[in-house]
Amino acid sequence: MRPTMKRLMLIAATAGAVLSAGSAFAIDTIRVGFTIPAEESKYWMMKRPERFPDIGKTYNIEWTQFQGTSPMTQALAAGAVDCATQGVLSLANGAVNGGLKAYIVAQHVYEKPGGFSVYWAVKDDSPIKTVADLKGKTVGISVLGGGTYGPFAMILRKAGVDPEKDIKLVETGFAVSEDALRQGRVDAVNMNQPFAARAEAKGGIHKLFSLSEAMPNIVHILEACRADFVDKNPALAKAYVRDITHGMEMALADRAETLKVVNEVLKAPIPVLDTYLLKDNDFGRDPKAAPNFDAIQLMLDIYAETGMLPKLSVRQFYNPNVVAPIE
Amino acid sequence: MSAVAGDGTATARIGISIAPFAPLLACLGLLAAWQIGALLLGTDSIPTALDALRAVPDILGDRSGLANILDSIRRMAIGLASAVVVSIPLGLAMGRVPAVASFFNPILMVTYPVPKAALMPVIMLWLGVGDLSKTLVIFLAVTLPIIYHSFEGAKAVEEKMIWSGAAMGMSRLQIMARIVLPAALPEILAGCRTGLVLALITMVTSEMIARKSGAGNILFNALDMGQYDTVFAMIIIIGALGIIFDAAFDRLRRALVAWSDTRQDIPLSFS
Repeated sequence: MRPTMKRLMLIAATAGAVLSAGSAFAIDTIRVGFTIPAEESKYWMMKRPERFPDIGKTYNIEWTQFQGTSPMTQALAAGAVDCATQGVLSLANGAVNGGLKAYIVAQHVYEKPGGFSVYWAVKDDSPIKTVADLKGKTVGISVLGGGTYGPFAMILRKAGVDPEKDIKLVETGFAVSEDALRQGRVDAVNMNQPFAARAEAKGGIHKLFSLSEAMPNIVHILEACRADFVDKNPALAKAYVRDITHGMEMALADRAETLKVVNEVLKAPIPVLDTYLLKDNDFGRDPKAAPNFDAIQLMLDIYAETGMLPKLSVRQFYNPNVVAPIE
Repeated sequence: MSAVAGDGTATARIGISIAPFAPLLACLGLLAAWQIGALLLGTDSIPTALDALRAVPDILGDRSGLANILDSIRRMAIGLASAVVVSIPLGLAMGRVPAVASFFNPILMVTYPVPKAALMPVIMLWLGVGDLSKTLVIFLAVTLPIIYHSFEGAKAVEEKMIWSGAAMGMSRLQIMARIVLPAALPEILAGCRTGLVLALITMVTSEMIARKSGAGNILFNALDMGQYDTVFAMIIIIGALGIIFDAAFDRLRRALVAWSDTRQDIPLSFS
């Protein structure tokens, strides 16, 4: 009995020592939400963590993938994640309807002048030649009431088409938009990359109008962190934003490796990604992932003008100490 | 007369020899219909059966793909096992104790028609986005059919058997364990079989909104990226998992309640 007892005590003491040593060396973990596609800096952090001096050493990241930005707004509001990808509209909706207090800490993609802009396409043999011709037609949009609706509605109104009364608006995800258009289920539909590049390569469709006609520099997705998390953990939040800055720099500097990284996350074949990713026909990326607050304010104004949101100031999402670029 | 009888015997013999292959033939028929349908439609979003089948080894041969599927199965197994542990005693108690049935029946009737995967966003707010919320959704989906079948099974036990047990000096717990449970077992296992299928369905749908890994990870990512071969390959894999699990469960069921197999079952699985 005695040797057994001694052995048990030794095991308990060893386990205690290991556990206490573990807690002494425990590093902070940040819970991050992401989605696909177009978050290259985060994909680098996820798939090439060894290229970031702090990841795994001064802090860890717990990644969770979400289906779009709206569930991430809910997760941020509920405190289920600390930082997540957001659209301008989803973040603003969270602030207005869900009491979400968050800071915009970085930007992923935007519509740079001359680059890719989300557009509405029609078939080459379609009788629709101008925006005004959309009256009475069935028009596809990726998400009803989503971020693209504001500028879309503005363009239609300018052409004398009431987006609520004059057209039949149907939800058509980007992945199925080409099929829906070619089969005649919709008369016009919005296109995004990589589906636009694929459809253009096949031919038979053309651009009717693009969002950049309503406003330049549209910010499609950005990175937001809960204000209470940032205020309580400024060093951790800064380390995370520093890595997003660094990740964006690496993504833009090494396109060949970025193609591999994106392929690992999206599982989309590299030849498909190669048709657009980080090329002129892709969205724009700020070289240091810096948010364009002026462009975001303009978007908030458009959403207010189209009745989607009350008037909001982007200042409520701004924290000068925790925002990209952080070197 | 003899010719007719001969024909009848031959037909019966063919029927008997085909019977074991009937599920396989049904699957092949389905794949053939799919192949023809996809070729006729000619749209990108519906690949041919052959294209989808060709993508299956790519998923299963990829270590991360396999890890994703195994993660889902692990969550499904935990959710299903927890549901079995909770639901069978509760269902049996409801079947034999009217007060328990009166208490739980209205709650179950209200919650039965609620699609459990639709609870995911709400559960996610309480339990976070990790395994716990997904396992809970699977648990909730599986619990109700098992409770219902256990309840019906326990209710159907003949009173004479209960009285006999009581006359032999058995306690209520002993009656439950030694008379009600074995007598209700065929019905309980029917509930478990339904639960198994529901667990598989909920396993995938619980990964629709938020996920770290899983079969849904492959399926919904591929859907987002318009990789339809992969989408349909995953559907084939999930279907195959359903057949394998069902066949394995049916073997277990037959081993446990062979005494109750008096009817001719329609072969739904490959067992």
